[in-house]
Amino acid sequence: MAILNKPRVFEKFKQFHDYVKKNNGEIGTKQRGIDLNLNNACNLRCKHCFTNSPIGDHVKDILPPDKIADIANQADELGIFEWDLQGGELLLRPDKLFECLEAIKTERFYMYVTTNGYYLDEKIAKKLADLGVNRVSVSIDSMNEEEHDKFRGRKGSWKRAIKALEHVQNAGMSPYLNITVGHYNAQSEDIKQLLEYSKNKKYTTLVNVATPAGMWAKMSEIMVDEKDKAYLIKMRKKYKNILRNLWNPFDRDYEKVLGCNTVNRMYITPIGDVLVCPYVHIKIGNVYKQSLKEISEYGFSFKKFRENSSSCLAGEDKDFVKKYMSKEGTSIFNPADPKEIFPKDHFKEFKFSEQK
Amino acid sequence: MDNKEKYKNAFIETFSIEASVLDKNLEYNTIPEWDSIGHMTLIGSLEEAFGISMETDDIIDFSSYNKGLEILKKYKVDI
Repeated sequence: MAILNKPRVFEKFKQFHDYVKKNNGEIGTKQRGIDLNLNNACNLRCKHCFTNSPIGDHVKDILPPDKIADIANQADELGIFEWDLQGGELLLRPDKLFECLEAIKTERFYMYVTTNGYYLDEKIAKKLADLGVNRVSVSIDSMNEEEHDKFRGRKGSWKRAIKALEHVQNAGMSPYLNITVGHYNAQSEDIKQLLEYSKNKKYTTLVNVATPAGMWAKMSEIMVDEKDKAYLIKMRKKYKNILRNLWNPFDRDYEKVLGCNTVNRMYITPIGDVLVCPYVHIKIGNVYKQSLKEISEYGFSFKKFRENSSSCLAGEDKDFVKKYMSKEGTSIFNPADPKEIFPKDHFKEFKFSEQK
Repeated sequence: MDNKEKYKNAFIETFSIEASVLDKNLEYNTIPEWDSIGHMTLIGSLEEAFGISMETDDIIDFSSYNKGLEILKKYKVDI
């Protein structure tokens, strides 16, 4: 379904656009999206996985359709216009993914699926398009097949990922080439080749900066530095098809920053925990116990998430990582309690009014 | 700058295209720059240029350069 055939999405997208414009180009406390980890099982063993999927963490848990429908209704009421369904690898169990898409009622959201592309063939692509998916993001680490496969822990994964993007494009959805950029590769030939490939194929490139979370916990050396950040902006201006959630998508000069999206894009785990984002493993609620509205309010009661940060807290702010993301054993399934890690003067008293 | 030029300029600046691209009635999604984000940016530019606020139905109907000309007439923008 073309995005112009989703009036409700544009109604919410317009509200977001107008809010950002009035708020000096900053995201502020405007809700934007949901990142849902429907199920954490995966067929690959990626070195940088932030969900600990390669070690089999909670791979059997999955949110049921009725709960997903409830979350979607609440999200729509909050003005949330985009959903990213991710895992794990959701195409390991396509029936569950399709069930989830039906529960969401995709006509209300700019809908996307993030995948490693291994199981995404022509038939699956068509089915996703029929179910209202607008975009599919496929992660690729290198234009060197061997490098990608080594990083992903499975031979053949590069070829399938490359092919998957073609199936996405042929099915009429937007193909996004997802790349993870850290200090180790930010200014490398490899990244240039990926950007070039994406541009030539008329894809969009989504840049996620490497974060010291999950399998890379405590590896702060992988984080981009100021020179890398400046280089990424240079690439953004050059290619014009590169996005980061941190950047202002409406800026046609390709240089302005919206701010860190913590709480603006809440991350929901397969057991219903709500974290401030996929990479900052700090819990602000659970969808079985509280409403999304209150979870959002609670999240923004913390100074670090309420105040605008022009850096991605998890991938660019080394001070934040050192102070608040270094607790031993933290993961998406064992998230930190913000009241335990932030000083008392960093948050307002907040009481959830209703416990489900 | 007259309204027609303002209108053209919004497209040229939003999508970083040459004016000649507009001669063939440019349509939504026919160039990579006119995607959903580009669409919203274009609407924002037009609202600013003409001091109007467009309704959702019109944002959805705004599917081409020529269609946009028709829609703006509803907002009393004389082009």
